Amino acid sequence: MVTQQAEPLSAPGSWASQFIRGDEVNSEIYTSPEIFEREVQKIFHATWNYVAHESEIPNQGDFVTRVIGRQPVVVVRGDDGVCRILMNRCRHRGALICEVQRGNQSHFRCFYHGWTYDNSGKLVHIPKDDAYPPDFDLESRGLTPAPRVEIYRGFIFGSVNPAVGSLREFLGLAAAKMDLMIDASPTGELFLDAGIHKSQYRGNWKFVGMDGYHPPVVHQSAFEIFKRKAVAEHGGEDSAAAQAPRKTMNDSPLAVSRDLGGGHVMLDVVPHRISEKEHHLASMRRQKDGEAYIAAMTAAYGAERASELIAIGGDPHLGVFPNLQLINQHVRVTVPIAADRTEVYLYPVRLGGISDAMNEKRLRKHEEFYGAAGMGQPDDTEIFERNTDGLQATVNPWVDLSRGRNREYVDSDGSIVGKISDEVTQRGQMREWSRLMSAS
Amino acid sequence: MNATDIDLQRAVEQFLYREARVIDANDYKTWVTMWAEECLYWVPSNDDDSDPQKKVALIYDDHKQIEDRVWRLSGMHAHAQRPKSRLARVISNIEVEQKGDEIVAYSAFMLCEVRKNETRFWAGRNLHVLEQTPDGFVMKLKKVMLANNDTVVSNLTFII
Repeated sequence: MVTQQAEPLSAPGSWASQFIRGDEVNSEIYTSPEIFEREVQKIFHATWNYVAHESEIPNQGDFVTRVIGRQPVVVVRGDDGVCRILMNRCRHRGALICEVQRGNQSHFRCFYHGWTYDNSGKLVHIPKDDAYPPDFDLESRGLTPAPRVEIYRGFIFGSVNPAVGSLREFLGLAAAKMDLMIDASPTGELFLDAGIHKSQYRGNWKFVGMDGYHPPVVHQSAFEIFKRKAVAEHGGEDSAAAQAPRKTMNDSPLAVSRDLGGGHVMLDVVPHRISEKEHHLASMRRQKDGEAYIAAMTAAYGAERASELIAIGGDPHLGVFPNLQLINQHVRVTVPIAADRTEVYLYPVRLGGISDAMNEKRLRKHEEFYGAAGMGQPDDTEIFERNTDGLQATVNPWVDLSRGRNREYVDSDGSIVGKISDEVTQRGQMREWSRLMSAS
Repeated sequence: MNATDIDLQRAVEQFLYREARVIDANDYKTWVTMWAEECLYWVPSNDDDSDPQKKVALIYDDHKQIEDRVWRLSGMHAHAQRPKSRLARVISNIEVEQKGDEIVAYSAFMLCEVRKNETRFWAGRNLHVLEQTPDGFVMKLKKVMLANNDTVVSNLTFII
């Protein structure tokens, strides 16, 4: 452990520094349409964005439509088996060539004038093509591919910036944290095929954040339900089960907030869960098909690592800047629409190599807290909207992100660590925001 | 339709109207009593007929979860329902079928929700499976197929 404070939130004299005063941030960065426009260009159109997961398009011709920043794309597996990200824009006059959210097609036809592409993006047909000179070649007029596509263990990332560095370099320390979700499957397979919880709120995309300070306040009612359930199942208000939800968030040294660099952050409860692995294993054994899962995990990863991965439960509680999070049983994507409008898509994850009954249990657990009717997420959204309204009071525009600055430290891997309720995560995201927004 | 069918149709319509009035008033206590002990309150996500074992739902509550849901909403800390939604819904296009001991009712609804200066319209179809008890009908299944279940869904913490 090195006791050393992290960098300031912005480089002195940089573009971003005009909005930053120590560990305070001017609320204009959450409300200004001009700054939002700059974010689209300097962040979403400049760095890597998570776009889709390979399991969403397992077969030749499978596709989903998504956005990178505000640029529409089709993520498609061609008949040649290759995953591509193609700009969803006809090479003729620019209309969408695909207007549905998902499907399977051998071809994409623009229904403006009929230009038709195969599912690798190649232009194969122009109606009345005798109107063009003989040297008008179809070859060079295929759908424009996203300038960069790279895949990390099934997670397809894209960038519209050809000069962006490698995906591995971008992910840095976050890659090994993503593994914690992937390796919850004994086969290392995630299936994002269970539908999507799509929600929106009237507020800035940066509110999604990664915050270990709010749960006891915003989610008090959900915690009370968890406690009610635990007491009903295991009895006794003071039982370990009844206390568990609060214990994790209780500023224990085993549950920390962590800034991994590059804006990637996590609420790292891994050591806490590992410290209780016997409890997690025992509860897994009681579950239907739990023994089979433990056996498969042990065969795949060895007894020691398997027991840790089972305790971690596939939840790295990780944010990959700017638009991806891996939390509990889901993969979360933040879609910035406007300074005061954000869409959030939650993709519940089914694990490969485990029984349908266990995967169903994961879905039921997810929808208890998340989605538009869950007992958790709508309360977050409500508070984000109150934040949007409160920030209109700009007489004193400063927002305080200093919590725990006095007690954070640099860990052996270079990540910055604080207590779970400390704003280490907010500061980590803000540093990367400042760096990208200030880049020439 | 014979006279018995008409009586059943009327009785089921009255039950659906009553349920609508109860949940429009956010009267959770009464609503809980309208459920059978073995029951399912199901609002699919993304599709009307997705397989719940393989697909996520917006709501998939058994009786215990319904009790938890209304217990939470009755407290002071369900922020997304502070203030509560004001609701007015119309239930229509009601068709009733008797299938053995069960009564199946198909209906459509339009709902106006007003909360914090925002007015939202919700619409969809309901499938109710009811059971006749000495005290009247109770719901074994209420499945709500929202017209907007495959697009962004706003705060749905009131009873749909």
